[in-house]
This record gives sequence, C-alpha cells and structure tokens, in this order.
Amino acid sequence: MAKKSAIKRKVKAPESINEQASVSEQSENEEDEDLLQAVKDPGEDTTDDEGIDQEYQSDTSDDLLFESDEEGNYLGRKEASSGEDEQGEEDDNDDEEEEDEDEEESGSSDDDAKDDQPSGSKATLSKTTGDSSNIAVAIPPRRDPSKPEYENSDTSDEEDIRNTVGNIPMHWYDEYKHIGYDWDAKKIIKPPKGDQIDDFLRKIEDPDFWRTVKDPQTGQEVLLTDEDIALIKRVNSARIPNPEHNEYEPWIEWFSSQVEKMPIKNVPDHKRSFLPSVSEKKKVSRMVHALKMGWMKTTEEVERDKQQKRGPKFYMLWETDTGREHIRRIHDPVSAPKRDLPGHAESYNPPPEYLFDAKEMKEWLKYKDEPHKRKLHFMPQKFKSLREVPAYSRFLRERFLRCLDLYLCPRAKRVKLNIDAEYLIPKLPSPRDLQPFPTVESLVYRGHTDLVRSVSVEPKGEYIVSGSDDKTVKIWEIATGRCIRTIETNDVVRCVAWCPNAKLSIIAVATGTRLLLINPKVGDKLLVKKTDDLLAEAPSSDVIESERIKTAVQWSNAEPEEQEKGVRVVITHFKPIRQVTWHGRGDYLATVMPEGANRSALIHQLSKRRSQIPFSKSKGLIQCVLFHPVKPCFFVATQHNIRIYDLVKQELIKKLLTNSKWISGMSIHPKGDNLLVSTYDKKMLWFDLDLSTKPYQTMRLHRNAVRSIAFHLRYPLFASGSDDQAVIVSHGMVYNDLLQNPLIVPLKKLQTHEKRDEFGVLDVNWHPVQPWIFSTGADCTIRLYT
Amino acid sequence: MEAENGEGQVQVHLKTKQEHYAVPDVPYAIEGSVSTTELNIFLNALLQNKGAASVDFDFLVFDEYLRGRLCDHLREKAISFEDAIEIEYVERFPAPEPQDCLLHDDWVSAVKASGKWILTGCYDNTINIWTNKGKHILTIPGHTAPIKAVDWLSLDEVNGRFVSTSQDQTAMLWQWNIDSNAVDCVSVCKGHERSVDSVAVSPDAQRFATGSWDTMLKLWSAELEDAVEGSAKRAKESGVRTPKMTLQGHRESISAVQWMDGTTLLTGSWDHTLKVWDLNLEGIKTEISTNKSIFDANFSKLNRLIVTASADKNLRLYDPRTNQGSVVRNTYLGHNAWVQTVMWSTTEEFLFVSGSYDNQNKLWDCRSPKAPLYDLLGHGEKVLDIDWSNPKYIVSGGADNTVRVFKSRKATVDHMETK
Repeated sequence: MAKKSAIKRKVKAPESINEQASVSEQSENEEDEDLLQAVKDPGEDTTDDEGIDQEYQSDTSDDLLFESDEEGNYLGRKEASSGEDEQGEEDDNDDEEEEDEDEEESGSSDDDAKDDQPSGSKATLSKTTGDSSNIAVAIPPRRDPSKPEYENSDTSDEEDIRNTVGNIPMHWYDEYKHIGYDWDAKKIIKPPKGDQIDDFLRKIEDPDFWRTVKDPQTGQEVLLTDEDIALIKRVNSARIPNPEHNEYEPWIEWFSSQVEKMPIKNVPDHKRSFLPSVSEKKKVSRMVHALKMGWMKTTEEVERDKQQKRGPKFYMLWETDTGREHIRRIHDPVSAPKRDLPGHAESYNPPPEYLFDAKEMKEWLKYKDEPHKRKLHFMPQKFKSLREVPAYSRFLRERFLRCLDLYLCPRAKRVKLNIDAEYLIPKLPSPRDLQPFPTVESLVYRGHTDLVRSVSVEPKGEYIVSGSDDKTVKIWEIATGRCIRTIETNDVVRCVAWCPNAKLSIIAVATGTRLLLINPKVGDKLLVKKTDDLLAEAPSSDVIESERIKTAVQWSNAEPEEQEKGVRVVITHFKPIRQVTWHGRGDYLATVMPEGANRSALIHQLSKRRSQIPFSKSKGLIQCVLFHPVKPCFFVATQHNIRIYDLVKQELIKKLLTNSKWISGMSIHPKGDNLLVSTYDKKMLWFDLDLSTKPYQTMRLHRNAVRSIAFHLRYPLFASGSDDQAVIVSHGMVYNDLLQNPLIVPLKKLQTHEKRDEFGVLDVNWHPVQPWIFSTGADCTIRLYT
Repeated sequence: MEAENGEGQVQVHLKTKQEHYAVPDVPYAIEGSVSTTELNIFLNALLQNKGAASVDFDFLVFDEYLRGRLCDHLREKAISFEDAIEIEYVERFPAPEPQDCLLHDDWVSAVKASGKWILTGCYDNTINIWTNKGKHILTIPGHTAPIKAVDWLSLDEVNGRFVSTSQDQTAMLWQWNIDSNAVDCVSVCKGHERSVDSVAVSPDAQRFATGSWDTMLKLWSAELEDAVEGSAKRAKESGVRTPKMTLQGHRESISAVQWMDGTTLLTGSWDHTLKVWDLNLEGIKTEISTNKSIFDANFSKLNRLIVTASADKNLRLYDPRTNQGSVVRNTYLGHNAWVQTVMWSTTEEFLFVSGSYDNQNKLWDCRSPKAPLYDLLGHGEKVLDIDWSNPKYIVSGGADNTVRVFKSRKATVDHMETK
C-alpha cells in the first residue's frame, strides 16, 4: 500500500487544469489514500494492485517531461521525489511498514502544508465522487504571499488508479466478479458485496455508516469526512462551497492602467526572455516575405478591405459589360427600312391613268427577265368591287422572300469609322509660306499667228524663243515683251530649245524633218561671234558613219539665205522631228522622231557634227527623251514607260512604270534624283528615282490632258500646262536628307489662256533665275506669270 | 444708318502751312461722315469771309491724305473720335494736262527732259531730240541696237551733251550743237558684255555710271577729252572709251542707277536688292533686300527716300537710312500691271510719277498710299520710261511709239513764290 502511494506521487494529471489545482489535488490524494485505506478489504491481493499502479505510471511517464517543461521550478523537486521513489522501491521487499511510515511522514508533512490551503480538500471530493464531479468547483487556493508560489507543490496522480476500465457505465460489469484487468492481464476482483443483513448489521454497528458511500467507479466504499459533509451541505444549500471564501473581500486591481514599479510576480525573468528567439525571427521573416509577396495582408490592409466591403456595393445590372448585344437592341435598334406608302396604282380600283397602256405593258414585258428594272413591281389591276379581288397570288413567295431577308439581314449595325476628313488630309504648309511663286499674269507676248508649240528661255534670262505652227520662230525680250526677231522656217515648228550652255548662243529648232541650229544674235556680241565661228565650218571627221545613220541624218551648213536669218547648221532627219533637247553642257542634243521606228531617238554631237542612234531595237513609240543633268544617263519615254539608260555602259538602268496610257512630257529635277512626268490622261507623276520604279506621287490636278511639265532650276517649284488652259504651279521641295520624302504642295492655278480647238496650254518653261513661268498656248500667245 | 455714320461729331483743328490760306485756329465740330468735298466747301466758306477765290484743297489727317470719309479714315488709323483731330490742308496739286504727243517710229524706251528739250531713245536704234513744244529737232542714228537709256550731261545755250546706252552693249557720249543742229559722237564706251540698261550722270557732270544686264556697274568719264594718256591715244582717236571703274556685286541685271550725291550711287537690280555704293570705298555702303525684281528705283534729294518699281503692281517706299534692312515704309497700290518706271519730282517733296505696263502714268503723293493723285492717261501701250526732271513737264515714252508730254500745270514757280 505504501509503495502504491509512493508511486502515485510521481504520477501527474495529464489534463491538470492548473498548477494550483494539481498541487491541491495531489496533496488531497494522499489524504484520500488514507481514507480508502481504511475501507479497504484486508484480504485483498496487494501484488495485483501494485502491478496496475506501475503500469499506470509508465503510461503517463511522458507527462513528467511535460510537467517539468512547463515549470522549471519543479525540476529539482521532481528529481528529489524520484530519488525518494527509487529508495522506496529498493526497500520494497524489505519492509512494508517502513514505507508506510515514510508515507505517513510525507503525508503528514503534506498535511502540514495543506493546512495552509484548506480548500484543497474540496477539490478532492470531485475526484472521489466521480459522476458528481459536475458540482465540483476548482477553487483557487489563497496563496500566502510570503511563501514562494510553488513552494509546497508537488504532484501526484489524482486519478483513481483502481479503476482500469475507464469511465464506462459500471453496470456493464454487474454480472462479473471483476472489474477490468491488471497489468498481468489478471482480473481485478470486485470487492465483495455484503447482503442486506450485513448492510443492516453494519448500519447498526457502524456509527459512520451514514457517511459511507460507494464509489461507483471502483465499487469501493468511501467514508466521507466532516469537511466533505460540510461541503455537501453548503452545496446543497446553494452557498459558496468554500467556507473560507469571503465574497466581500476588498477589490485589488491587479491589472490596471498604472504601471507598477515592482512586478506582480517576483519570479525572475527566465534567461530565455533575454535572448532573441530564433524561431520567432524565422516566423517574422516568413511573415515579412509573405507580406512582400502579397500573400499576406497587413492588418491595415485587411481593415481597409473590410471597410470597402462595408461601403456601397455595385453590381452589374446586366450580366456583363461586354454583352453589348442586349443593350444595343434597346438603345440602338436597327430600324426596318421604310416602305413607301401605297399609291393609287396599288388600289384595287385605281384611276384609269394608272392602269397600263400598251406601251407600258410592252415595257413591263420587256423586263420579264430582269424584274428589278421595272418601275413598279406589280401590274395595277382594276376590280369592280373589293369582293372581286382575288387572294394574293404571290403570298407564299413574298413570305419566303421576307424570311430570306430576315436571314440575311445584318444582326448588328456596322460601325462606321468616324474619322474626321480633315485628319486624313496630309498637313501641308500654307502656300503663303512658300513664296515666291508666280501668282499673276504679268505680260503677254503677242505676235504669233498660230498656236505656239514651244518656248525656251535664254540661260541668262533676258530673252525667250518661241516656235509656232505659223512656221516662225520668234525671239522676245522678256522684260518688255518686245519681239526682237522673227525667223521664218519652211515647216511647222514643233520644238525650240535654247542651248543651256551660256557660253554658246544657239537655239535648236525642230521644224518638220529639219533640225535648225540658229544663232539668235542677241545678248553678248562676243559670244554671238564666237558661236558663229564655231558653227561656220564642219570639223573634219575620219569616222565613217554607218549606213543606218547616214540614211537617217544628214548634217549640212545652212543655205546663204537662211544664213542671213541666223540659221547656221541644218540637220535633216528622215522623219518629222517632234522634240529636241539639249544636254546640260550644250554639246549634245537629242531629237525624237516618233515615226522613226527603231531609229526614233537620235543623239547629235555638235562639236564633231556626228549623230548616233543609241537604240537598235524599238521598245515602243518614243514620246520624249531627256538627258540627266549630272550623270551620263538618258531618259526615254515611250507611251507607257520610261527607260533610263546609262550612256557610258550602254545599258538599261531602270524602267519606270507610269501606269498611264500616254506620256506627254518629262522634266528632271536639277539635282537629278526626281523626275516629273506629265501624261495625256490628266495625270502628273512624281518619280523619286532612288525610291522605286513606281510613282512617289500621282497628282490629278488638271481637268484635261497635261501637255507639259517643268522644274525650276533654282526654286523648289514646278509647273504644268494642260489642255484645260491652266498652268498649275506647285511647290516641289527635294530635301538633301535622304530620309525625308519630297514635299509637294500645289500652289496656284493660273488660267488666263484662251481655249482654241480643244487645246489650252501647250508648253511651260521657267525663267532660269526668277520665279517666273512662261506658257505657250493655242491662242497664239506666250504668257508670263510672276 | 445712323449707327453706321454714328460717330457723331468730331472736333477738328484746321491748319495749313500755306499762310495765305490760313484760317483762325479754333476747333470746329463737324460730322464724322464728311469727305474731302464737304471739307472743301466748308473751308472755302471760311476763306470766302476773307474774300478769297475758291480753291481746291486736299486734307491730311495724321500724315495721310483723306480719301474717303473722315470716320473711316480715323477708324482705320485707330484714332479715338473723342480727341481733337488736326487736319492739315494743302492746296490741291492741280491736274497735269496732256500737252503733246510726240510720234516715233518705234517704241520709246528712254526719255529725258531738260530745259526746253526732250531727249528720247527709241527701239529703232535712234535718239531723237524734241522741243517741249513738240517739235522734232533731230534723229540721231548710231547705235546698232535699241536704246535703253539716255541722260543729259550738260545743256547750255550753245551746246548740249548727252549720253545714251543701248542693247548693243555700249554707251555713247554725244555733243550736240544747238545752233547748227549738228551732233557728234564724242566717244563710244565699250566694256559691258550685255545690254546697258541704265545710265546716270553725276551731279557735277564729270562722270556717269551705267548699269548693265551683265550685272556690272561701270563708271565712265564724261569729259570731252578722255584724260587717259599714252596708250589710250589710239582709243581716243577711234572714240572708244573704257570704264574708269567697275563695281561688281549684283547677281542679276542692274536696272536702275542713280547718283545720290557726288560719291554715292544707288542701284536697283533684278536680284531683288537695292544697293548704295560708296565710290570712295569702291564698295557697297548699304544693301536693301526686297522680295521682287526691281525695275526702277528713284531717290529723292528732297526727302531722301527711295521709291521702287518692281515686278508687281506696287510701288514701294524705302528709307535708305534705316539699318534694319528691308523696311518698306509704304506701298502704293493702284497700277494693274508691272510698274516699269518711277521718278520723284525734283521740286515737290512728296510727289512722284510712275509709268506702268497698264498703259497709265500716275502721279502720286507719298502720303496717299491708297490712291494716286492723278492718272495720266494717254498711252495706248506699255509705258517704258517716264521723266519729270523738268518740273514743268512730265514726259513719258511707251510701246505705242509715242512720247506723251503732260504739263504740270501747277506753276511750281508760283509755289516757290508763295514760299
């Protein structure tokens, strides 16, 4: 028995509510033991009990660790107690009595301690009474502040170790002699139950019988102490079980807003509390990481979310915003096309004039195969009365068509791009900023009697030369409009070209099949004389010309009577010449004979009096030719395309596709990288030769065939003359920066020429220095615009 | 209507610099809608109190001629109607009267009047001398190309000397004996490479300057005996003269030359610039850039302003003293075609005449930019040159082969007397 109790000391309640409770319970248990001891049957096998106890203890041995973990203070004490146990076990076999004494001693000492905590006994009751534990109240013991808090505490098991079956209804064991099994799987025999007579005898004999109760769990009898009875009484009378409890104790505010100087508990802080906690740090870092990654929210954020949730909530009135169809039908319905109101013709009894007569009937029948072309989709009919109107014969068909319409009708309105037209127009500078350019007609040069085909300006800019269908060439003074000289030729003058070399005074005139080189005898007299000398005699040439060239071209000096007029050299071609153009240096000139087949373009060299036929094959009807201002290149325009040839390498460089029906003229930018082409189909094409073979820009400014086009040599201007009698001046800026595209701005339409025989302006040419343009017209005039 | 005129009355002070027309300096309240006619009637009424005869006046409001209604004028000038307005009145310059028509064989491209003679240059390569009564004195052939400019060097009772330039790249110096009516070509000035378009004789008549299409400005001696020694002997005999000085600077043809004083020349060119040359420096003193080719430029010694005719319909007034460059002081609108020629009056500070390709001559007051004082009609073709060197006569030559003489009826002499 003594041993049992000793072992019990070690056992702690695993579910101990708190320290104080466990302490008190433990101390109480010791007392219980005595109590139980007293009612115990002397004949009981103790060994069995012992085994059970041991078993129990080993089961809960883990709790020992737990206990010590919880309160460091216990550690030393527990060890001491365990030492005691060891000792007890050693003595086990030797002397039971001793142990009992020991036990008693410790029990008494415990009792001593218990005296200070009388309430502890009440707690015991709860254990002992088992089922009635619901009335048991754990009363916190009043601690003596002078003593250390856990001074007297030691724990022992408060569990009733005699019950090995657990908290089960005990009547399950009613039919058995035993209750549960011990460690060695032997039955624990129930205490013997006396019969009624025994009970009665005991009732009579035992004065304490009335205070003896049976423990339902173990089936043993327990003798209630006076305190227990008092407690029961107090509980029954609904008073506070603890008699010591003073309900009206003065209130001590232990936890207040006031910061006390001394700590409430005088246990020194554990060392641990001074060391930064690693696990805490880990936790914190994990939280910081979570915050950073957004997995976790700070309390403020959480609070804000909550706040937001609490605010007004919005929700979709319709399912989604994107489901526009539903809303569109409400706001933007596609209205059905309006039908015309029925007219008289649709009446069942139309006035007779609405009925078809023979002619209308014929027309109706004519469109039998194309009913949509009919004026009416039905034939008006007349009935005497509404009763006679038959059923609508086309009802089914109309229904069918209606369904077809519905099937094909658009489900949604086609969204038109709402682009401002202004936005699409490229931003062009205002013409006012692009001055100077010609704006008004300033002078009219009158004197020709037939349409003036061509005009050319002296390189210095004092005179112009014009060639006309009246078979004359006229030289004019620009500033006054005075005709200085008139040179008559034998044929219609198709083209005139003043030699661009200022050191020479020559005009090339294409008249009929002859190309005349005329010395105009204006300007510097010295130059005039020099030119005359130069052209006076042919240089001896040792090159034998091929038959092909010989039959095409003959060079000769002019006849004396023509010499007087100024004609110096005559180059007779085999076909009418249409165009003549100079190379920039003034030594070469090219002529075009559209009817010349594969010999339609010729290049003449003035200094050697030689001609060349650059092309052996005809690539088309050549319209005009042009020399590149800088490079040895030659532009040949056929009806549809322009070919650029390298004259040195004698090969085709490029072919420009104009995509037009008939080219009328060309002009090259003085820098040589841009080409303007005029066509008879009202277009003007700007080719950037570096860019592509297709036009950089196509201008449709004229209302009729464009006859001529010209770049200004100095100003960024170009002009075009057309059969609609207009000269259109445009700004054509070419930038040195290769990345910047040319800027083209139409500036001014000058329309003062008179119309004659479907012809308007035939040729335009710029003054070499001033921003002035000359135009020749079918009205026999040359006009100067400044 | 009331609102339109509605400026109500304006307080005016009438002033004049012509003392004999002075009226008492008291403010008059007149209707804002009055024009020159009403003002004239009013002023004449005032003057008649003094017993003077009726005179036509022109009215200057803030240095500009009043042409329309007074209120419009003020509104345009942004002048408050509350202020007292000073109106200066001057006797109206009387209309020049067409006096004569001198018929030539070809276009007349140059005219110059001096004393009672009129010198004309013609496109048929001849120079003609006429009296201002319209009598043809002499036809001088000599040039081989149309004459472009003429100028008198000196003129006295016995001899007249003049210079002519032509498209044949020469200038010719002529001496004309009035009594015997014989003319001598003193020398031929060769040096220009293109047509010589303009000529001007220095104030001391010792030199003359020519401007040519070859962009050069050349100075020549106007002495009868060219003071070049030795090597020039042969040249002298042949009468060929070489330039004393050649000034290069223009990029295009020089179309106008004029002496501003003894050592300063004004040139106008097709390269859109006016240049003032200092002959001592032999360089450019001032350059005024314009934006049109200049056909003619004329400098007034009286008000030191330059008026130009350029390749448009406008006449422009420049002040050569401003440093800012091309500050156009005023623009005179009125012609309908290129203005070819322009000339200041030599006696009237504010007047100049212009001749244009719209067959008209116009007489301008430089204070009246909106409208000319008078249109001098008569030419049937382009006017090529105009001259007002003789204050009594405005002479112009044109492409209708005539020279028109307009008598400037205002006796400038009278005017001088009143001064």
